[in-house]
Amino acid sequence: MSAPTTAAHQPKPIRLRAAKIIPYALLCVGALIVIYPFFYMVMNSIKPGTEILHSPNALPSHITFSGYVGVFERLDILQLFRNSLVLAGWITILNTFLSALCAYALAKIPFPGREKLFSLMLTTMMIPSVLFLIPTYVIMYNLGWVNTFRALIIPQAVAVYNIFLLRQFMAGIPDELVESARLDGASDLSIFTKLILPLIRPALVTVAILTFMGSWNDFLGPLLYLNRPDLWTVQLGLIQFQSSVPGENAQEIWAAITMITLPPIVMYFFLQDQFIQAFANVRFK
Amino acid sequence: MATQGLQTSTTQPIAERRRLFQQILRYRWGYVFVLPWILVYLAFQLYPLLLSFYLTFFTYSFVNPDDLRFVGVGNWLRGLADPLFWLSLFNILYNQTIFIVMKTGLGLATALLLKQVLRAGSLFRTIYFTPVVTSVIVLMLIGEYLVGPTGPIQSQLINWGVFEQPAFWKSSFWLPMPIIALINSWKWFGISTVILLAGLLAIDSQLYESASLDGANVWQKFLFITIPQLRPQLFFLLVVDVINGLQMFSEVYALFDLYGGNHNQALTPVLYLYAQAFDRSNMGYASTLGLTLAAIIAFITVLQFRFINRGNE
Repeated sequence: MSAPTTAAHQPKPIRLRAAKIIPYALLCVGALIVIYPFFYMVMNSIKPGTEILHSPNALPSHITFSGYVGVFERLDILQLFRNSLVLAGWITILNTFLSALCAYALAKIPFPGREKLFSLMLTTMMIPSVLFLIPTYVIMYNLGWVNTFRALIIPQAVAVYNIFLLRQFMAGIPDELVESARLDGASDLSIFTKLILPLIRPALVTVAILTFMGSWNDFLGPLLYLNRPDLWTVQLGLIQFQSSVPGENAQEIWAAITMITLPPIVMYFFLQDQFIQAFANVRFK
Repeated sequence: MATQGLQTSTTQPIAERRRLFQQILRYRWGYVFVLPWILVYLAFQLYPLLLSFYLTFFTYSFVNPDDLRFVGVGNWLRGLADPLFWLSLFNILYNQTIFIVMKTGLGLATALLLKQVLRAGSLFRTIYFTPVVTSVIVLMLIGEYLVGPTGPIQSQLINWGVFEQPAFWKSSFWLPMPIIALINSWKWFGISTVILLAGLLAIDSQLYESASLDGANVWQKFLFITIPQLRPQLFFLLVVDVINGLQMFSEVYALFDLYGGNHNQALTPVLYLYAQAFDRSNMGYASTLGLTLAAIIAFITVLQFRFINRGNE
């Protein structure tokens, strides 16, 4: 009796083990495919330019940092970083604060007309931004805002998507809490700064990360409004630099790409849960 | 009774108006707090929208701003008869069909695999999400070298004998759009993975257990439980991908000239609009193209909502 049962059971652990290993194996292959381009980028940034021309896919025969030196000599990369940081920083600070303020009004202050305003906002969320591209440029041109950071910061000082996310988060705070603070004579501004803001910190981090990432990686906006090289962001600087480097100095392109890519990735590795939550926080119904 | 009713109906509007006024006064800070959005909306959404309609009826250029000529529906007719605009629409639809299928497929496959290996899953999730946070420009430049004629992918394919000679994909007519879709799927599938995995983990495991008792195989469970349960997530991803994808610009700007290459093989509607506005200085025509594209995107989005709502009934 016992022999057939063990015989029947024996293949099962092996199949189970295989069933466990196969997903891991596939996921590892996937991870290698995702990582390889980044590896290729770093590898070519420390490879002599002539080797990139003749054997672009082989490992470097010796390591050189001439690419990095060249980038610092011929591209004001610190200026590019400063511009990107200033631009994305202002947009993130203003947008997070003003969107939260607006979300607070929509969630906790029952002013007449509130529902109508909110449904207007939701409608504007569905409008593709390409519609505003040309007319907004005409407006900025006539205001004389081309070649200023204002042209990018002011229109992005507040965003409906962020208002929507923050309002949903604030809906979880009991109304009684706000009402009793109001009865104690607290003004709405102090309720917002002292009571609401500390309570919604996780949501603020989410919104700030999404906004910062969006404006750091934005290309079309800076391309439209920042035409002077001293105003360029990292993305604009990279495109211009890439077309100006001769083939035998190809390691400089790769060094520039690497320097521009690594800071956001390092930041992402430290804040990865917040990054991923920012995208997973979407509600579906 | 009747007189009383008459009395209240005459005093009510005044009392109501007074109450409304008191409410407005009492909650005045609400208006102050939403003011930033209202100002941005009026100045950079509503006004541009109206200006956009206005511009479509004129030829307008920055070179001669005084030369504002009324052309009626001329810009619209020009758009209808412009082969480059139609080609750009074809290109982007060709690109997006491939992109959405590949990205969703990859995202679903990795989400299903990650569900199997919950413990080590977060490491893989971190890796798969890295391209999502990296800029489009950077990834397009890297991608261009990787799939280029001397890049590692083509060299490997030649080594294996799949290719006889390197393909100069950028100058071919049919290859640029699928290859950009491939690079973009590699960049973006991490978002699908994260969202679909959250959806998978929310599915009630009893559904699978009772299906197993009924003798359903893996494939049937996937088709009749997993996919229907993931519908909200799949629908959300589809809507967002269509809205963003049809407005593709940076990818083709980084790799091609303003007209999408020698055969316009990578010309997208937004790239064409940009070229018309800033290379040809046709602001009126570019504005018309922007409105047309926005209308097409809105139409497709409405169709998608119709479709999903009908499916729900």
